[in-house]
Formats: sequence, C-alpha cells, structure tokens
Amino acid sequence: MAYKERNLAGYLFISPWLLGFLLLTLWPIAQSFYLSFTDYSMLADPVWTGMDNYRKIFSGDDVFQKSLTVTFTFVLVSVPLKLFFSLMVAMLLAKNLRGMNFYRTMIYFPSLIGGSIAVSVLWRNMFGADGYINGILAWFGIEGTGWISNPDTSLGTLILLGTWQFGSTMVIFLAGLKQIPQELYEASAVDGAGRIRKFFHITLPMLSPVMFFNLVLGIINSFQMFTAAFIITKGGPVQSTYMYAMFLYEKAFKHFQMGYASALAWILLVIVAALTALNFLASRYWVFYETEGGRDR
Amino acid sequence: MKRKGLKGLMLLMIALMLTLSACGGGGKSGGDNSSSNSPAGSGSSASPSGNAEKTGEAKKLGIMWWGPDARHEATLKALEIYTKQHPSITFTPDYMAWDGYWQKLPALAASKTVPDVLQMDAAYIQDYAAKGVLEDLSDLDLSGIVDPSVLENLKIGGKLYGIPLSQNAQGIAFNKPALEAAGIKLPQKNWTWDDYFAFAREARAKLPKGKYGIGDSTNLWDWYNWYQTANGAKPLMSDNGKTFTLDKDLFMKYHTTFEQLRKEQAVPPADKSLSFVPNDPNADPMATGIVMTGGATTGSVAALYSMMPDQIDVVGVPTGVAGGGWAQSTIFLSVSANSENKEEAKAFLKWFITDPEAGQALKMTRGIPINPAIYKTLEPTMEPKDLLGKKVYDMALEKALPFYPIAQGFTEWVDTYKSTMEGVMFGKTSIEDAYEKLNELGQQIAAKNP
Repeated sequence: MAYKERNLAGYLFISPWLLGFLLLTLWPIAQSFYLSFTDYSMLADPVWTGMDNYRKIFSGDDVFQKSLTVTFTFVLVSVPLKLFFSLMVAMLLAKNLRGMNFYRTMIYFPSLIGGSIAVSVLWRNMFGADGYINGILAWFGIEGTGWISNPDTSLGTLILLGTWQFGSTMVIFLAGLKQIPQELYEASAVDGAGRIRKFFHITLPMLSPVMFFNLVLGIINSFQMFTAAFIITKGGPVQSTYMYAMFLYEKAFKHFQMGYASALAWILLVIVAALTALNFLASRYWVFYETEGGRDR
Repeated sequence: MKRKGLKGLMLLMIALMLTLSACGGGGKSGGDNSSSNSPAGSGSSASPSGNAEKTGEAKKLGIMWWGPDARHEATLKALEIYTKQHPSITFTPDYMAWDGYWQKLPALAASKTVPDVLQMDAAYIQDYAAKGVLEDLSDLDLSGIVDPSVLENLKIGGKLYGIPLSQNAQGIAFNKPALEAAGIKLPQKNWTWDDYFAFAREARAKLPKGKYGIGDSTNLWDWYNWYQTANGAKPLMSDNGKTFTLDKDLFMKYHTTFEQLRKEQAVPPADKSLSFVPNDPNADPMATGIVMTGGATTGSVAALYSMMPDQIDVVGVPTGVAGGGWAQSTIFLSVSANSENKEEAKAFLKWFITDPEAGQALKMTRGIPINPAIYKTLEPTMEPKDLLGKKVYDMALEKALPFYPIAQGFTEWVDTYKSTMEGVMFGKTSIEDAYEKLNELGQQIAAKNP
C-alpha cells in the first residue's frame, strides 16, 4: 500500500511533464497521423480519403522528388563537412595555451545566435549580387554571380552556412577530447607513435561515441533545415533550395493542404527513423565503447 | 543492447518533435477578444455617431493590418482618436509588413483567433470569404459614403465581405531624370506592350552597360496576366476559380520576347533579377539606379518616392486592344466571422471611412480615400508623393481592366508559375515545357474547385 502511494506521489510529481508530453506532443502526433489520411484545409472539417495523399506523393508529385533530392544533397554534403570542420576546430581548441578560454568563447560565440533569422539575413547580405563577398571579389577583378539567386550556387551557400554553424557540435567534440586519458598518448609516445598515428589510433577510436552522437544529431537536424532556406532563398531559385521542411510548410500553411502536409511529415519521420536505425546498426562496426572493451573505468 | 534500443527510441522522439516543430510557428494571437462573452447591444450598430456605446460595457477590439511604417503610425493615431470619442472601446493593434501578414493570417484563421477587425486585400478576399473567415457586411449602411456601384462590384456571391478604404490603381513608375539624361523617349499615357518592349530596346542602346530600361517580369504571374487580358483573352483564373485559361500563343509570344530581351541584355541577367529586394534601399531595382522602371500602385508609390525623392514619375501599365492595368479598391477592412464584438467592429469600420478627424490622421496611407468628402478635405494639403499616387490612378482609369485576384486554390499554381518560369530564365526549362506544366496544373485545380 505504502509502495503504491509512493508511486502515486511520483506520478504526481512528474505529471506536469507527463501531461505536457501526452497533450502537447503525443496527441498532436496521433492527430497528424489521422490527418495524413484526410483532405483537410484547416478551415473546413477533414474528409477521409484513405491512402490518397500517400499515393499522390509517391506516384506523381515531382516537387516531392525535387525537394527530396535537394534535402539529401544538403545532408550528404553538409553533415560530413560540418563534422570534419568542427572536429578540426575542437582539436585546435583542446590545446593548452594561454588565453584558450578566450579563443573558445570567441569561436563559440557565433553559435549563440546560431540558426536565427538575424544570421540568415546577414547571409543574404553577404552572398547577394551586391553583397560583401562580391565586393571583396571585385577588388581582385573577379565578377561574382548572385550567389543566392543563382540555382547553381544557392544550395552551396546554404551548405556553407550550415557548416559555419558548427559551435554546438564542436563543443561536444571538445568535451569528448578532454575525456581521452592522457596516459594513452603518453604510452603510445613511448612506443614511438607520431601525431598522425596517435590521431587515427587513439583520438578517433576514443572519440567514436561522440562522433556517432554528432553524426546522428547532425543528420536529423539537416533533414529539418528550414529557417535558412525560408529566409535567405525562399526555396528558390528554380526550387534549387526547396528543402523538404519548406515544402511541408508551404503545403500546410500556404496552400492549406494540411492532410497532404501531414502525410509528408510522416514520410519524413520514416526516412529519418530509417536512417537513424541504419546508423545504429552500422555503429557496431565502428563505434568503440570503452566499457565494452578491455578496460573498465 | 537494451540501453541502446532505448537511446534509439529517444532519438526517434527527438526526430519526431523536431519534425513537428518545423510547422509549429503559429505566432501569438492578434486579438484578445475574451474580455466579454455577452452579445453586443444591438442598438449601437447603425448609429453613425456611436453614442450608443457610451452606455455599453468596455470592449477591446483586436485589429490587424499590414503596411509600411507611415501607415502604422497613422492608423495607431486614428485608433487613439476613436477611443477618445468612444471611451468604452479600446484596441489591441497588431501590425506588420505584407509578407508576415499573409503568413500569420492562415494560422490565426485555422485556430479561429482572427482579430475582430482585419485588413483584407483584393488578392485574397475571395479565398478567405469562401473559407468562412469573414463576416457578411451587407447590412452596413454606406449610402452617401461609397458609390453603390462600387460596392456592388465588390460583392462576392451577393455578399459584402470588406469595406473598401481607398481607390487604388496599378501603374509603372519610371526614373525621369535618368531617362531624360540618356535621351530616351519617356513612356506615354496608354502606351502599348509593343511600346514597352521597344522602350526596353531603346534603353539598352542608350544606357551604359549594367543599366536597364525594364525589369525581367518572366516569373511574375500577374504581369503575364495583364498581358494576356490586355490582348483580349480571358484572365488566367475566372469564374471563381472554376475556369483556367492559359492562352498558348500569347504565352509563347510574351516569354519568347523576354527570352530575346535577356539575350540582347535589355533586361538584367537572371541571377541579378532574382536578387533584387523591392523597397530595400540597397537592393531595390529602381532605388539602386539599375532598372529605370518598375511596377507601382497608388498605395505603394509613396514608399518608392521616399527612397528617390523628386525622381519618380508614373504611367499606366502597358495596354493592348482590350485595355490594360486596373483601377479599383483593393484594400478593405473586414470583420472576423468569429468575432464576439461584431456590432462594435462594424460601427468602427463605418467610422474609419467617414470621420473627418480620422481622415486627417490617416491621410493617404492607404491610397486615395474612398469617401469623396474626406478626399476633398485632404486635397489642399497633399504632398508630392500623394499627388503621385493620385496620378497613378488617373493614368490607369481610362483603360482599366478589372483587378484579377488569385482565385480559390490557386496559390499553389502561382508558386509553381514562379519557380517554373525561373527555370526558363536560367535556360533550364523550355518555354514549351513550362506551358505544358502550368496548363496541366491550372486545369487540374480549376476542375477541383466547387
């Protein structure tokens, strides 16, 4: 009896979060699943249409294909770039130099304003046809293009922006680097390992759980990429930056096709979930957990 | 393994939440009309002086509009005056720029939290009326204030969903001193589309490299619609969105002409065209001096004028056999169908276009006031930028065609037009393919409309 009461008290204490989760997260998710089988304009009641939305998406929506291609390109290029770049910066910042905290702060600083609208507006001003980048190129007599208004370069500028926002990934790497026991490096130095060997045989394996974490989160975040595409390029030109999330948003809030948009959201969920599952499967072959290995700390 | 499974589930949940948060930007509700639930005293509705409210309980009206800063300030001042005259009524104003407004309104409409009074545009009023967001205002007595024939024209399915605020018209602004300096023949009243394209070529010959007579309007559906209707064809969308007409010959002719102009460098290159930001002093095609002409309406020309004072003159949209451009009311005030203060809102609407004090505060910030009596009191004090707005109207009136809004369900088509024609501008899509694609989609949407 006392046990049961204790339980009740426990549930009572977590009830604000539990209720929040049930009402504000789980319920809308369930609702969107239902809506994905309907034709719903937000203003009139939803009409059940069965698999119609899904059939339409997979059989004839070339915008769906286009936005998927754009999003996959973005993920495939920007995630490795970002991981590589933030690892390099983290390694630099892991050194013990005087004033390192200052450098860390300065380099992390842009991430505080992260994926905000202000940064997107800044990016637009930098890469516009009369932007700062072209202004600098002009000093060298190079005539730049309108980077964000040219379909051949627009996605590239967004990838660059995504890579530049490396702060949080970098901080996690930095923490991971600090966790690696110095003895390992010392021991390998005694055995005559050089810097490159140390990196590939100590740093990378010891860092692989952190790498894995960053990879999974990076992929998920990149699939959700919205603000920059919405503010900087509005998905254009010629839909060259028409990210999946943007497609979803426009279907829902511009064209009032809520049911269709819900179906799109569920497809995105399945894609992201499948990729995450794949990542977890693959992680067995390259992620090294210390606790599973010989040493137990 | 178990733990990893859990972790996977957690990540899944994160993915799910992030997915959903991408479309969660509802924004705060514009009007808080929860102050009172009791229905309004019915006696106050028709009383133009509004004295009846004095005895009524305090009411808070939500009001929302879009526009430039000048309009915001003027409107806030008018609201203050109203509260002074009717102490029981106060306002919760919410104002923003055009883009934000039309992004926010759908979310408000979906959650049934549209403010009591909202500004409407001719481009969207059909769509919102059809969705039941707007209240029928037919019983509001506007005789002697607005021309009955004007009101009759504005009715949608026999009902009035918005009170017109002003006379508006579409025209084209041009950079007069720059054209004169280059010795280019200035655009004349009622010029034709042929004149327009000839003007572009003359400007190419006489202007330095990197400056252009006209902008590239390949990706702007309304420009093409003006062209199609000026040449006597039906508008793209007619019959309340049930009929879609994309005239193949005219489409091919219009877009081949622009393709030719791009080759001759008589319009800016595609990447330049798409990087212009209208009304941004650093990126506006005209304010930067790169393009000599640009679209302007009675309501918007003042903003352009303030960026380049004393350089702007105006002319109508190019015409064809059937006429060209439009001249009519396009800005309205509507009342939300879900409002709990409908009578108060209606009384305010009427006051907004009749009260002389309001007229003085609002001036021409929404175009030429619809009420001739108000306009007369403003005329003597009009500034050059206001006179320019009036001139746009005068230039358009003679040949004006109706204003063609985006019909129900066609926002998707308009977006597709833009991205498809951008493909044409960059040479990635042929005009022929673009026609097929746009025609197919348009017919599909029209067939689906009830």
